[in-house]
Amino acid sequence: MSLNERVQEELEALEAILMDDISIIYNENGCPELVKSTIFPSTANEVDKQYVCVTLEAKLPDGYPDCEPIVQLRNPRGLDDSTINNLYEAIKEKCSEFLGQPVIFELIEIIRESLTESNLPTCQCAVCLYGFSDGDSFTKTKCFHYFHSYCLANHLITTKRHFQEEQDKLPAWQKSTKGFQASCPVCREHINCDVEELSSAAPPKELENAQNFEVTSDLRHLQERMKQLFTYQKSRGGIIDIEAEENKLLLITESNGDTPPADNTEDPGPSLSNINESVMGDGLLSRGQRYNNCRLNSSGR
Amino acid sequence: MAALPRRIIKETQRLMQEPVPGISAVPDDSNARYFHVIVTGPEDSPFEGGLFKLELFLPEDYPMSAPKVRFITKIYHPNIDRLGRICLDILKDKWSPALQIRTVLLSIQALLSAPNPDDPLANDVAELWKVNESEAIRNAKEWTRRYAMGN
Ligand SMILES: [Zn+2]
Ligand SMILES: [Zn+2]
Repeated sequence: MSLNERVQEELEALEAILMDDISIIYNENGCPELVKSTIFPSTANEVDKQYVCVTLEAKLPDGYPDCEPIVQLRNPRGLDDSTINNLYEAIKEKCSEFLGQPVIFELIEIIRESLTESNLPTCQCAVCLYGFSDGDSFTKTKCFHYFHSYCLANHLITTKRHFQEEQDKLPAWQKSTKGFQASCPVCREHINCDVEELSSAAPPKELENAQNFEVTSDLRHLQERMKQLFTYQKSRGGIIDIEAEENKLLLITESNGDTPPADNTEDPGPSLSNINESVMGDGLLSRGQRYNNCRLNSSGR
Repeated sequence: MAALPRRIIKETQRLMQEPVPGISAVPDDSNARYFHVIVTGPEDSPFEGGLFKLELFLPEDYPMSAPKVRFITKIYHPNIDRLGRICLDILKDKWSPALQIRTVLLSIQALLSAPNPDDPLANDVAELWKVNESEAIRNAKEWTRRYAMGN
């Protein structure tokens, strides 16, 4: 049997076993060059209980199976780096063991076995940056991203509130007709979750057990460097003087004939209040924010 | 005042232990939600050689809401205005709690490498950037040299 026929036979067998779960990409000469399959743990088809997955991409070089396929693991979900690295190791071993024989099905099997063994997310929750401990209530999105139910509920409630606040600011003709659509914090894919159920979950355990932050000498050193740079740049006129710049902005706005006078208390118009509002919203801290917080903290609360 | 959320502690620790090249961020002594930041001007940009001071504040509901960030050092850039405010989508409607202090600062550094005069915040700067790019770049270099040097 020729090399080509052997590959063809392997691929036909794969398609017969895996059906829709595998896709084979052919090059312009009609030769198979890439095999792709998204692999899930075996959970007797209980899709709800599949917490991890990964896509295997095997490039078939000329001469396969007498030379090894080039394997990539893509879009890992619920898996951390060390699990992926272990999988690459196992794949490498399998490939050299099976040199000269069809190996794709073997690869799929070892990946599936490993996923079945570690069918609990080993990644971190992207919202709180902590892992998933036994007993934590967590949620898998359709896009296979993981969050503590508590954390996801927080995200959904806040984004919905932000959406509503933005809508309320808009004139009627600009308001969205679609309403709020929740999205995944990691990949922004649309998700639909029962917020009420999620928000009844307890906070994750690791969140409770984390240790406190300590001020190190490195940190002290950095703080010192920041202070020196500030003083130096200030002496060269390089530091933005917010008050002076705000006054300049005011002058520009006031000299603009289209704007009503700013001293009307009922409708302050676009000049003063709007500038302050946008300054606040876009990253400038009010004096209160900057100094009140400092005071509160240093008084030991 | 509520205790500092664990996530902020964890991010701060990681910023210290695995600093991002060209970026340093350190919390204030008296307010752990207020960070002093230095971003170095990227190589091959008009901001090369500059050390830009920024301030970053984590609001009460961080990470549900975006951090507030602005430049403290003067900078000549079409997407940064005279008050140091930054025009960057992830600081506004594209914020997601999966982003972090480090990803925000990396995005700001990337903005220095790739100014975008079509989405301006500083109108006069953006205008010049569009009609006479080489003069705008000269200005940016001049501002960097004049205002953003370290001691
Ligand atoms: Zn979480
Ligand atoms: Zn997702």
